[in-house]
Amino acid sequence: MQFRVLIFITLLLLCPLVAAAQDSPFLRISVEDQPDASHILISSSQQLSTSIETSSNYILVRIRSVRPLRVQRPPFQSRLVETIGWSRGSDYYLVNIKTKVSDFEYTTSHLSEPPRLLIRVVSPGDEGALAEPDDNNPALDITPGRAGTDSAARSPLPAQGMKTIVIDPGHGGILAGAEGKFGTLEKNVTLDISLKLKSIIERQGYRVVLTRDRDVDKSLEDRAAIANNNRAFVFISIHANGSQRKAARGSETFFLSMNATDEEARRLAYLENNSTELEKIESPNEDDIKMILWDMAQVDYLRKSSELAESIQAELNTLLGTRNRGVKQAPFKVLTGVACPAVLVEVAFISNPDEERKLGTAEFQQKVAQAIYDGLANFLRKNE
Amino acid sequence: MDTKQLMVLIALVGLLIILLMVFFWGGRDDRRPYTPTEAASDSQPLLSENEKLEIKKVVLFFLSEQDDLLYREEREIAFDSLLVHQAKLVIEELIKGSQKGWVSPIPAETKLREVFITTQGVAYVDFSKELHENHPSGSTAEICTIFAIVNSLTYNFKSIKRVYILIDGGEQETLHGHIDLKQPLVPRYDLIAN
Repeated sequence: MQFRVLIFITLLLLCPLVAAAQDSPFLRISVEDQPDASHILISSSQQLSTSIETSSNYILVRIRSVRPLRVQRPPFQSRLVETIGWSRGSDYYLVNIKTKVSDFEYTTSHLSEPPRLLIRVVSPGDEGALAEPDDNNPALDITPGRAGTDSAARSPLPAQGMKTIVIDPGHGGILAGAEGKFGTLEKNVTLDISLKLKSIIERQGYRVVLTRDRDVDKSLEDRAAIANNNRAFVFISIHANGSQRKAARGSETFFLSMNATDEEARRLAYLENNSTELEKIESPNEDDIKMILWDMAQVDYLRKSSELAESIQAELNTLLGTRNRGVKQAPFKVLTGVACPAVLVEVAFISNPDEERKLGTAEFQQKVAQAIYDGLANFLRKNE
Repeated sequence: MDTKQLMVLIALVGLLIILLMVFFWGGRDDRRPYTPTEAASDSQPLLSENEKLEIKKVVLFFLSEQDDLLYREEREIAFDSLLVHQAKLVIEELIKGSQKGWVSPIPAETKLREVFITTQGVAYVDFSKELHENHPSGSTAEICTIFAIVNSLTYNFKSIKRVYILIDGGEQETLHGHIDLKQPLVPRYDLIAN
């Protein structure tokens, strides 16, 4: 009897401890379908300081938190939401919500006690519980509304086995890029060279997609999205260089350098392109496996990007006789989101009056396009 | 029976005390929450009149007319025990430009608005809009500007590991469409000339 009382009192005393354990900070992400929308509810024990971005068919929610959070993500079935993943950065959590369609809109509302963020996702194609989305018609095949209105970006998918090369003419629209002493604008030079490069590559039987085919604004994220949505085999961004010093001249080719946090963006891009395969893997460590596969793919992209950069730079050197500035690495925004071998070619310096004059002529542009193509062709021969 | 009751009572009281101690002290989280620490805006005068000026030697990075590498220039700044004050001085010296004729990586009109350093060793350096507006553009120019700033901080202060460049108080994607500024940058010592 005494003993039972003892146990009872002990349990009673333990109650607050159990309660305290449950109070440890958490983040709970749940999904619920409503007749006209899908609701994603993010709740937390602490104040939610969030920012939201969308990228093709992802909604990315960044939640500020230095403290580690217990993330709870109960399984769900939803008409509009495909998967929900999360990762942790130095002082934030990144929740990536993958939607089944790319033509969605969302609204958010903040609720308090406990702090909650409600994301309401609607899609014109969503006709309530009656219409099940067709899995054979993945949204990835379509350029998302946000990512492109260009006719170029919407070109049909290639025939079986035909490889897609995505060419990105740097800058555009109000963002003119660097400007030469004689008024040559980088955005015009990059577009001219890209169009010439496109027609050379197309003659060789490849499909070419331009991230812009005229003088328009195009965000760096959208440029990467166009590459990913078109399942680019290679991504080449064309730029003209600028420097603080007038004497700087020559061409160089860049590929991405891995700043520790670049990984986040590239991991997302990778998951976006490979999620259908990866989702077949069912295990408690799904995220770990995705991460390992991601790392492997990333090492491969970087190795190939380096190879492509070397190959293009070698041709630029021989054909143009410009000063060899070599292959370099830097954390370029436009390259971070691209899930394939990706390089950025700085053809010549628009800030150098001599090179500016050359950059403006059609012959020089044609020679540059040919050199880039030759470098690309060498790479393709070894990698097909 | 009496002794047994007494023992149970003592055991219970003991347990209660232990549990209370665990409850009140054990669960306390000593980690400091995220604070952009040591905001330099409330800076006091560095010295009172009878104090001696202590000097710290720092290295700044500038550009040359010959190539696109970063060139060292030593500079002396007033010593301050607050890291954030020192960091601010280094960036302000960098903005002033070289005393030895190197090319400046930062547009002359640029002002330093603020520096914050987190406990994780990330320095947030907030510049006025001229860093963007008066910048010549171009990949090479961006790389030179950005890594002159990043290197100048990490090279002089071991506790600064990464640098986040802000413009006019906010994040900016890039200076002019090239280098990603939406992430803290690690230094690039390979760009320094020998």
